[in-house]
Amino acid sequence: MDFSTVELDADDAAFHAQVREFLTATVTDEVRRRDRETGDNFDEAVHLAIGERGFLEQEYRTKSGAGFSRVRRRIWELEKRRVHTPWVTWGTTQLVAHAVEMFGKPELVAEVLPGVFTGEVRMCLGYTEPEGGSDIATCKTRAVRDEGGSGWIINGAKMFTTGAHNCQYVFLITNTDPEAPKHKSISMFLVPLDTPGIEIQGIRTVDGDRTNIVYYSDVRVDDKYLLGEANGGWTVLRGPLDAEHGAVAADADGLADPAIMAHQAGFMSAAVDAVAAHVGTPGPGGTRLVEEGSVGYRLGRSAARLEAALSTPGIFGRVAQAQTMREIGPDLMDLAGPASVLPLGTAGAADGGAAEYLYRFAPLAGIYGGTLEVFRNMIAQHVLGLGKPNYSPPRR
Amino acid sequence: MDRYELRRLDYSLTEDHRDLVTAYRQFFDAHCGIETVWAAEESGFDKALWERLCAMGAASMAVPESAGGDGATLVDLALVAEELGRAVAPVPWIDHVCATRLWARLGGVDAEAVDGSRIVGLDPRLEVTAGRRLIGTAAVADRLILRDGDDVVLLEFDTVGPRVDNLGRLPMAWVDPAEANRRSVLGSGPAAIAEYQRALDEWRMLTAAALAGLVEQTMTIAAEFAKSRYTLGVPIGTLQAISHPLANMAIVVQGGRNLARRAAWFLDNEPQARPELAACAFVFMAEEAGKAATMAVHIQGGLGVSTEAAATAYLVRARAWPLAGGDPAASARHIAGIIATRETELAEGA
Repeated sequence: MDFSTVELDADDAAFHAQVREFLTATVTDEVRRRDRETGDNFDEAVHLAIGERGFLEQEYRTKSGAGFSRVRRRIWELEKRRVHTPWVTWGTTQLVAHAVEMFGKPELVAEVLPGVFTGEVRMCLGYTEPEGGSDIATCKTRAVRDEGGSGWIINGAKMFTTGAHNCQYVFLITNTDPEAPKHKSISMFLVPLDTPGIEIQGIRTVDGDRTNIVYYSDVRVDDKYLLGEANGGWTVLRGPLDAEHGAVAADADGLADPAIMAHQAGFMSAAVDAVAAHVGTPGPGGTRLVEEGSVGYRLGRSAARLEAALSTPGIFGRVAQAQTMREIGPDLMDLAGPASVLPLGTAGAADGGAAEYLYRFAPLAGIYGGTLEVFRNMIAQHVLGLGKPNYSPPRR
Repeated sequence: MDRYELRRLDYSLTEDHRDLVTAYRQFFDAHCGIETVWAAEESGFDKALWERLCAMGAASMAVPESAGGDGATLVDLALVAEELGRAVAPVPWIDHVCATRLWARLGGVDAEAVDGSRIVGLDPRLEVTAGRRLIGTAAVADRLILRDGDDVVLLEFDTVGPRVDNLGRLPMAWVDPAEANRRSVLGSGPAAIAEYQRALDEWRMLTAAALAGLVEQTMTIAAEFAKSRYTLGVPIGTLQAISHPLANMAIVVQGGRNLARRAAWFLDNEPQARPELAACAFVFMAEEAGKAATMAVHIQGGLGVSTEAAATAYLVRARAWPLAGGDPAASARHIAGIIATRETELAEGA
């Protein structure tokens, strides 16, 4: 057990300073303003600049030992969060790149990976379907062999393909054997997004982000883009899914977040801290709002629940964070008063818009990367040993 | 605060920690089954269990070596508290170790307090500093440490109690400091009050840890029940109306336990860095323990509400143990005072 500040040697301290300087100069107010406007959670110029410094490859190679050391990886992660570096598309790109490296044909790996490291190649997730939901194995998007037998024809639609309009490839779940049991029916493709027959439509979400619905109409792809075996998609998908679910234990050196989505949990810390500063500042009569009992109680309770959520590990923490956002967001807004409804960045917003953003973001945190119900099922089944959930019989 | 500070977030236990957990779990398994808990309900105290616990070194471990103890860390004590809570053990260990540690800091602690042969109680309330009060350990404590205005005093009474019956089955009694037969001032003024506040923080952290253990145990019992109880041909644990509340309890245990341990680490190593965390752990677990224990009873339906069900023993203690420390709102306001001051200063500096 250790929560001490990390002692850095001279090289790592220099790296820390260099990274902070680079990110401060690169992720500017203008970048953040543009990001809020577009909802893209991606900025090409920033991404290419990071790639040019070699940091994309360094970050990607941390796990294999060929990139950042553990401590540099942690420094990099924290400093990116400090300046609100757009993160979503790089996150999905890394998940997919690992799957491509493991299951892609050598020529595909050669086509994709160098561009991932320069920043020119980005990849998104084509999982959920308009009629689907969280069970990604119930997939209606079909891939069939083409006439010559050397390629595939894909038809279907995917929801929430976040970042598609800034990406070059989509990591696509397809059904290649509708008759087979569901975990033996899917195949994974890495589909180039400039292929004819693909149409990307933007969707804005209530937190201000942009995601997409993507339609696939007679999209022809070469066999090169099939990852792993046909009907063996589940094997390909497992690694990225476990990583996205946060079902991967933190290392015991304290240089990783106890749970996934710590970046997003940071919105909650920011809101508590901003509201604490708001109610701690003397008002016109010289009194501080926090002296009032109901204010102190709600702020203290919110901080307690925040700290508990931040302490909760693994998939437990994944639920705790999203649930706590929903619980304390409204109280924090009440504490900041009517001016808490002014959006982020508006003059006069009581807490810089932190609490109202938390309130709008909380619903997203509870569904993406798997709904809270998926995680509760996992805890119930795999931790408590309660068995698979029972559902009413399927509609015939 | 700087939420991007480069600090370790290492919650892992060392082998010594794990050995400690195993030793105390085995101890309570062997000597504090649910029958022992029930048998102690009349008095709120199992003297034989207390003596065995002290013989194992549970009292002396908490005291610094400089004061004649074995110098365990608060993280160690948090681990013991989890096991004590898991067993809902009828012994005033948390209060005794917090009081004894406080006495050691203020000077003059005696050997009978260190080894636990004479119990020292504590008034764990934040908001009460004068007058007659209800104290959770007063019926069995040989000495009491409490705050009387700006003094921290050690009180002795020739006649203790009488114990009042109470929801938490604690050895609880009314105490009027003015009626003490012997009264010595251990310290006065801001420095002594700060030490008293530290004892209150330790009590809150350890109580939170105990509640995490308590919730884990009542959750485990309820989960076992849910695996073997059938409705319409399926185990009720496979129904999400049952399994998801159980999953929520598991989440509370994981979060509350880790937060208490983190609070303990900061109290041990950097008490000025995060002075709000002990109260955070307490406020969180005080609210969640009663809710979780209620759900654990509910899952066992008509069998759960019986006074013969272990679930009800956990239910009443989950609510009443933290309440001995007073309204949790006082702790919440204490947290708010700390963070509002800190964040305001940081915002002004920025």
